[in-house]
Amino acid sequence: MEKIQVPEGMNAEVIEHLMYPKNYGKLDAPNCIGIAMDEKTNEYVIFYSLIDGDIVKDVSYATNGCQDTVVVGSMFTDMIKGETVEYAHGAIEKMGEKLGVMTPQQQICAEMVLNAFVASMMNLENLAKGEEEEVHILKMKESCEVPEEGEKNE
Amino acid sequence: MSKLYQTKHELYLSITFASFAINDETIKSRLYEFSLIAFRHMKWIGRAVLESGNDYNYDRKMTLYKRNDVFEILNALKEEIIAFEMINSEDILGERIRTDDEYLLQYLSEVLKNETNNTPVTAFNMKREWLDKNLAQEQIDALTLFLFEESYKEYELILVYAFMQARTNNVTQYDVFQDLIDESHFHLKSFGNMMAKMGILALPRELHEMTYVVKDLEKFVVDGIAEEEAAKVMCKELSDAIKDEELSKFFDFINYQESYHIELMKRLL
Repeated sequence: MEKIQVPEGMNAEVIEHLMYPKNYGKLDAPNCIGIAMDEKTNEYVIFYSLIDGDIVKDVSYATNGCQDTVVVGSMFTDMIKGETVEYAHGAIEKMGEKLGVMTPQQQICAEMVLNAFVASMMNLENLAKGEEEEVHILKMKESCEVPEEGEKNE
Repeated sequence: MSKLYQTKHELYLSITFASFAINDETIKSRLYEFSLIAFRHMKWIGRAVLESGNDYNYDRKMTLYKRNDVFEILNALKEEIIAFEMINSEDILGERIRTDDEYLLQYLSEVLKNETNNTPVTAFNMKREWLDKNLAQEQIDALTLFLFEESYKEYELILVYAFMQARTNNVTQYDVFQDLIDESHFHLKSFGNMMAKMGILALPRELHEMTYVVKDLEKFVVDGIAEEEAAKVMCKELSDAIKDEELSKFFDFINYQESYHIELMKRLL
């Protein structure tokens, strides 16, 4: 039963995010795209951002990951839309405070969402430098796959 | 044609989830039959798209609204079918789809004539109760998460297998994909009806092309087998956790089906 949890337990807010994930899918006209990839499980988060100056005008995400990732992605995108890029970088920490204690797997799901956002920012930087980059990909250092007993999560 | 495909995909989901949302067993069962017909329409439209040298995707723009009663669901469905007819093609396939949809419209009109069919819909009330079972909160939470995870996964599998089936000339692969699609339809139906019963019915989220465009079949199958193993573990955990004989047996039954999926998938290697 320990493996099947979502952040903050099953309260109404979490259920709402599960039933109707916010900002889910592709963005019509993003100016940068990032992907965080867990090569061990093949799980990914793709993040579409529309940045105007210092403002995150619009964002969306998609994932083939677990429901934890869906809930975190929904909450995170909802928090940063319309805010500054600086605020967005600190938003995952703020969300962690809001959610309370997360399991290691849930923390990795949250990192994956943040990394996908960071990757989209790196894509924006690279495009600004004149590089031709369709999407920026960041590989996850840690996998959310539950290690077998005695196995280390590399 | 690809727009036609997307609209039929959305209509397939609308009919399927209308079936899940409605408690009346006769209407539920009839709509589910129509949803499988709509899925075949999708398959045939997809084939025509590919034969014309074009491609389709699984993008969709739809929302599953929280409806209060059966007539709200059926009236919305009627409007969607009528809108589809406006863009339906004029060829033989278009004619076949049109006659199917007109028959469905006729059926919906018959149901809508009888006011006693207009019962409240509880599928979206978020109460998370299983009225005839005595489940502890922890069991309800575990069941809730399982249903969200697995309903998405079954929808994903249906679409991924269908995508690959449409692009293979290998008879064995075609046959295995069909078996797996049929199996996932049954699982999605089972889980969707359970979600509706608990008041948490929701559309599985949209698939991104990174999920369904498979470049390496062997890797896909190996990863897929690992996922089936993970699903088996979840089923077993749930079966052990839920202290209700009927539900526990159901999850054991699903677990054994997942075992056979692994055997089917091995045939793809």
